[in-house]
Amino acid sequence: MTLLNCLLLSFILFGIGVWGLLRRRHLVAMLISIELMLNAANMNFITFAYFSSGDSTAGAVFNLFVVAVTACEMAIALAIVVSMYRKRHSLDVNELRSLHE
Amino acid sequence: MIHFLIPDLLLLILPFLIVVSRIFSSKRSLIPWYVAFLGLITIFVLLNCITVGETQLFLSNWKVDRFGILMREFLVLAALMGISFSKDYFNHTSDFTPRMHQLSEFMGTVIMATFGGVVVISASDLLTFFIGLELATIPMYALTAWNKKDSEGSEAATKYILMGSVATAFELFGFSYLYGFSGSMHFTDIAASVLINPSSPLLWISVLFLLSGIGFKLTLFPFHTWAPDVYEGAPTPVTAILSVTSKAVAISFVTVLVFGPLNGVKEQMAPFLALLAGTTLFVGNLGALKQYKLRRFMAYSSISQAGYLLIALLGPYEFALSSIVYYLFIYAFSNFLTFFIFGVIERNRPETFDSLRGLSKESPILAVALVIALFSLAGIPPLAGFLGKFQLFYSAAQNHHYVLITFAILNNVLALYYYIQLIKSAWVEPADPTAYRLIVNLRQKVWIIILSVAILLGAILPFLNDNIFKIINY
Repeated sequence: MTLLNCLLLSFILFGIGVWGLLRRRHLVAMLISIELMLNAANMNFITFAYFSSGDSTAGAVFNLFVVAVTACEMAIALAIVVSMYRKRHSLDVNELRSLHE
Repeated sequence: MIHFLIPDLLLLILPFLIVVSRIFSSKRSLIPWYVAFLGLITIFVLLNCITVGETQLFLSNWKVDRFGILMREFLVLAALMGISFSKDYFNHTSDFTPRMHQLSEFMGTVIMATFGGVVVISASDLLTFFIGLELATIPMYALTAWNKKDSEGSEAATKYILMGSVATAFELFGFSYLYGFSGSMHFTDIAASVLINPSSPLLWISVLFLLSGIGFKLTLFPFHTWAPDVYEGAPTPVTAILSVTSKAVAISFVTVLVFGPLNGVKEQMAPFLALLAGTTLFVGNLGALKQYKLRRFMAYSSISQAGYLLIALLGPYEFALSSIVYYLFIYAFSNFLTFFIFGVIERNRPETFDSLRGLSKESPILAVALVIALFSLAGIPPLAGFLGKFQLFYSAAQNHHYVLITFAILNNVLALYYYIQLIKSAWVEPADPTAYRLIVNLRQKVWIIILSVAILLGAILPFLNDNIFKIINY
């Protein structure tokens, strides 16, 4: 296990998140992809905290905060998704077309 | 002594005070509204009384300096205008969408987002910075979806939160590389590592991620597409708050980043920032040309204003900061004045340019105020908007970015064209006899007059601009 391997892993995870976000048209699947991207960043922090010679506690603490903050963000996102589902009875983003040019 | 923390703590407590006062008062009581209004005024007065000599630090990661105090004043003032503007939307319908509910929680959320902005400005390490940015944006998602009965609002909020979370992920990824590059969270340590090793690939990957993340939040060119949809779908007061508070938080985020940890590579970043600024204001101006809905038009107008704000960042530290603060104040006044007028118009008319027809006959004061607001946004000389734009360009000119400035000034002509389209609807086109009559209540009247006077005198009265320019330039 080297620094480069761990960085590559989290970069690939981030890439999967981006790909899923572009590919999937279901709102919940898109939120899961976003969560994947955020956790890739978290893994980066832990990797750097583990391998770096600098301030390693800061990196280890950072991702605890990130988990809490993204939990808030996802709570709001799901609330919005539920309120949209009640209006439209569909979770397909392709149907979000009432606001456009 | 930590007396400089008092306004920040008050701002943090205020949302809870408002919600608690709502619990202990009757349903129609105005107590929460007065708590919010007077609380914000108190904080604003306190901020003006505080004298911060040098930069003050609290626990090594909460920084209060002159720029911070001015930005706090700006954010509190923007929140004050925001809640005053929102109040009417809880009393009656507008643009045929249902009336909004839960005024006190709404105001609490707005003030929470304002506090997030204060955290961003005060941060001096990555963790505080990140939490501040999230605290400033998460309430905005909730505000966009505030009107549960309006299906366009939830559609706008869905688009906003998807884009916003992606931006957060990009920023976080950038932060993680920045941390890995320097081995520390603290801005001074990062700045030192950047100076030692300015061409490290890790640093530049991080800058790339950070720029694209902030591009979403500041609506810079390739990432601006969500803004018109969100601005159109959100309730009008939320659009006004988004276009002022959220934009101010995003630009202060870039300012803190560029003049803080990334100060060592500022020269190398300048071409990217110039490219982003130029394309953003061009695309914003082009988009605004073909609009006929008022709020969508304001969205494109605010995209191009973000481009103008970014130009100032190319200048040296003092010039950039003072011109950005001054322009933000003027931008907030002009934008809120425009939105107050739109608020009067869309109370019982559809929200298009056509609803403005015959405004000069029906209500000359409103029509004059509209001219003041739009000419200030476009930057016509006697008004404050001209001085604001002049300072932005002056800041960039210090570092010889003349090509970009010329391009921006040419674009201003384009901007003038579409602002005049709006004025033409109000002054030239004949009135529609079937339209509903306009109703202006006292609060709207007072705010419209105050803001018009502020824009008219902002450039002329010396003490206003001296305050900002002297405080930062010493």
